[in-house]
Amino acid sequence: MLEVRDLKVAFPKEEPGSKLVDWAVKGISFSMGRGEILAIIGESGSGKSMTALSIAGLLPPDAVSSGEILFNKKDLMALSKEGRRMVQGKDISMIFQEPMTSLNPVMKIGKQIEEVLVLHTGLSKAERKERVCKALLDAGLADPERLCQSYPHQLSGGMRQRVMIAMASVLKPQLMIADEPTTALDKRIQGQILRLLKQINTEKKMGILFISHNLEVVKDFCDRILVMYQGEIVESGTPEEIFQNPKEEYTKKLLASIPKGKQIVKKEILEKKPVLEVRNLNVYYTEKRKQKRQVIFNANFTIYEKEIVGLVGDSGGGKSSLSKAILGINKDIKGEICHFTEYPQMVFQDPYGSLNPVKRIGWILEEPLRIQGRLKKAERKEKVLHLLERVGLDRAYAGRRPGELSGGQRQRVCIALALILESRFIIADEPVSALDVTIQAQILELLKELKEEYKLSYLFISHDMAVINEMCDRILRLEDGKLYEEI
Amino acid sequence: MGKYKKHTAFIIGLAISLVLLGVMLIGIFYTPYEPNKMNGSEKFMAPGIRHFMGTDNFGRDIFSRVLEGLKTTFLVAVSVTVIGSFFGMLLGAITGYFGGLLDEVLMRVNDALAAFPSILLALVFISILESGTYNIILALGIIFIPSFARIVRGEFIGQKELDYVKSARLMGASHFRIMFVHILPNILPALCSAITVGFNNAVLAEAGMSYLGIGVQPPDASLGRMLSEAQGYLFSAPWYALCPGVIIILLILGFSLINEGMGEQHA
Amino acid sequence: MKQIGKKTGTLIITLLFISFASFFAFQVIPGDPALSVLGMDATEQQVAVFRKEMGLDKPLLVRYGNWVWNFAQGDFGRSYHYRTPVSGLLGDKLPVTLTLTLISFSFVLLISIPFGILMAKFAESRLGKAANVVNQVLMSVPSFFLGVLLVLVFGLLLKWFTPGKYISYTESITGFLLYLIAPAAAIAIPKSAMVIKFLRSSVLEQRKHNYVRTAYSKGSPENRVLFIHILKNASIPVITILGMMIADIMAGSIVVEQVFNIPGVGRLLVSSIGYRDYPVVQAIIVYIASTVVIVNFIVDMVYRLVDPRIREA
Repeated sequence: MLEVRDLKVAFPKEEPGSKLVDWAVKGISFSMGRGEILAIIGESGSGKSMTALSIAGLLPPDAVSSGEILFNKKDLMALSKEGRRMVQGKDISMIFQEPMTSLNPVMKIGKQIEEVLVLHTGLSKAERKERVCKALLDAGLADPERLCQSYPHQLSGGMRQRVMIAMASVLKPQLMIADEPTTALDKRIQGQILRLLKQINTEKKMGILFISHNLEVVKDFCDRILVMYQGEIVESGTPEEIFQNPKEEYTKKLLASIPKGKQIVKKEILEKKPVLEVRNLNVYYTEKRKQKRQVIFNANFTIYEKEIVGLVGDSGGGKSSLSKAILGINKDIKGEICHFTEYPQMVFQDPYGSLNPVKRIGWILEEPLRIQGRLKKAERKEKVLHLLERVGLDRAYAGRRPGELSGGQRQRVCIALALILESRFIIADEPVSALDVTIQAQILELLKELKEEYKLSYLFISHDMAVINEMCDRILRLEDGKLYEEI
Repeated sequence: MGKYKKHTAFIIGLAISLVLLGVMLIGIFYTPYEPNKMNGSEKFMAPGIRHFMGTDNFGRDIFSRVLEGLKTTFLVAVSVTVIGSFFGMLLGAITGYFGGLLDEVLMRVNDALAAFPSILLALVFISILESGTYNIILALGIIFIPSFARIVRGEFIGQKELDYVKSARLMGASHFRIMFVHILPNILPALCSAITVGFNNAVLAEAGMSYLGIGVQPPDASLGRMLSEAQGYLFSAPWYALCPGVIIILLILGFSLINEGMGEQHA
Repeated sequence: MKQIGKKTGTLIITLLFISFASFFAFQVIPGDPALSVLGMDATEQQVAVFRKEMGLDKPLLVRYGNWVWNFAQGDFGRSYHYRTPVSGLLGDKLPVTLTLTLISFSFVLLISIPFGILMAKFAESRLGKAANVVNQVLMSVPSFFLGVLLVLVFGLLLKWFTPGKYISYTESITGFLLYLIAPAAAIAIPKSAMVIKFLRSSVLEQRKHNYVRTAYSKGSPENRVLFIHILKNASIPVITILGMMIADIMAGSIVVEQVFNIPGVGRLLVSSIGYRDYPVVQAIIVYIASTVVIVNFIVDMVYRLVDPRIREA
């Protein structure tokens, strides 16, 4: 049904006047059968999204592309804009990574789905309405009549993705392109969306081109996998072939970076030296101009030296509120929080927001020492450089600004920042979820090493059970504001 | 390509502003003629070699008077911007960072003040204070504080939620240090943009008030006042009105181009 | 609904604040209005008569209360200078300024919306870029200087209208409206340039949003994406700008009335400031500020209609 031949995509270089280009896709070929689920796996920058956008005809205007995309033996690349539009939405549809922003915020849901029918069919208004409601029901959404009258902001992320799926399948196209459709969603919702896609695939015989950075997600879902790296397809095969018998070095690296999920063995801690004790903690939260509500109910736990305690729970379930309370950022609490170490620190989820963008790395790392009035100037500088090296960055990085660093490098700086005051207790709030898989593994390894070296304890927050199982000695689960210890 | 064009906007704007600033500085020490010296035999001379911008109804050299007016305009606009941005920055930083009741009250007052066009408020001030260059500076300076405060407040509210601020608090940084060492450098682009806009509004307000005869008073020369004097001779001596008018346009254009160029660099 | 109630509350508080500020600003003025009106050599009896006539002999708060109460009933006090009711003075000038403001505002809408869209659509073309440069220059022209230029070109050179020869609406409605075209253009053109710039960059900014990609993925043609999807989103920030512009247009009319010799509120204000005729100044300030606040209230309601996210927040 779909055959891609020698597809190339390039972007002009940033500098003005330069004739050079950056290659995003370097001549790839593959084909896809009717009703097949094909997954393209790769890190950010591997060219997987550009491949998807080329097929959908949605490349950014400054992109240059060549090659052939044969869809039912017709070359899409040779079609006029008008001809392309006849295919878009009718035969090839697409859903995106960001369900929060992919829907028009000021247009009713019903109208947005109906637009596909207005553009491609001559159905009457009543018929269109019926089709829209049917599509919403098929996407697992109840009460379609009311939903049609809603605006996107009234729906949750999972519901919006279902709306996107309804929109993309209302005309039963032969191919649906799904660009990281589950990445921005909670783990639990992820599973539901994948099941829904699988169901639509079997019921409507729709082929799905599934783009993802996560090998694990597609394992039980797709018929075939293509692994892309730096604009090229490095390996392809069935999930069994890829998982059991990877040929390429890069694929092996990808597989190795999937957290193993080792069995947690409850260690007997001989000398139980607590670093943090929380007793009967209640945390309250006041949203802007809204009523105060309680987010944590009567939490009790202790964290001991050299221990990594995982904290899991749904997003919005109070994980952040709990960590803010522990660190004293949120003061609206009742109960006891007893720290046995000085300066508890935090490593944040978003490595882009947690470093002051206008300051140099050296300045940022030196700041805590300066504030506390520790050491002489030269000693402070030396300590900063030493720590930079310890977290795996060259000394030269001290002179750079956060914007010049990659996400992984920034997260290393954040870790150094958490260690500079010789803190012994660190809260790591989703420290790797914003990073590529291979980088994730490196950062997790670094955190483990540092734990041994500096006798650290972590409260490790994540929604990724694989990461949690890999890292943690114990797990705390937060549900509806109540804390349970998992055994 | 887009970036490149924005860069040119910035450079052209900077060039216009620097040339006008240079001309103004020269004008402090040297004007071709005494700006207020009348000369009955040289009335309404068209621009030429003797008088670069011609002469007015009293035979005064328009170029020399434009230099004088430019000096006044710069004095007023710079002082107003300094007063407005400094106090506005302090007020905005404190209300934005701490929030709470003070913030609520100040924002209500700010909203109400925004209902008065700034030139109207200035006119009221002047009707109370008497006109004159320093009173205009005082009036406009105070009137401009809320608009700066509003922008800085908004920026502080956005920045204080970012993780780097939380991280600074965990290190034990004082609120004062967080506000002025950590956050302030991050909002400088917004503040600079507000300063260029404020400067232009001050130029406009001064020229408008002087045009109405309620601003800068003689013997201080003012571009706005020249314009209103010239209006009676629009047909016979169009250069009399055009010269000060074009200078005002250039002054405003220069700063708005700078603002345009800066804005895109940081976007 | 609750939001609208709250907004109305804020509106009333703001109006009260405006009246309060306008009233007390004129109480702190050094010197006795009686003396400044009657002259330094007025006899004590003259002063007493003047004070009684103007109600200046009562306590401050009582005067404020009376003033607000009278104001609400359309009695704006008596002019110190003309010794006649302010309402009479304002009566024949308000419609002039109001018409000028309305025409200016409609000009802003009529000019900026089509041009803003066109300039966004052709932002990348040579013509679009040139138009942007012209727009930038127009933005920098003060309205009163533009007025002077219009007088010069259309009044004196082309003789399309006679500068300074204002035609009252009592004489001829069409003559009155035609005379107001040039001043309204002087006010509206720089403001339109500003709105065009905002609308253009707002459309360009919206084009990068993900929902636009979704719209294209459905097979929508470019114009449909622009007019059905982007425009409504792009207009949201522009509505705010338009609301704030009302104050600027009112301020512009104060000055431009002077250029075109239009006997409106602006000219009355300027001359009253010269005479220190405070009741008139007070009344005009309250009038202008209230108009701005009320228009902003309406703009806020429109905003709610356009943006469903605010409607419920």
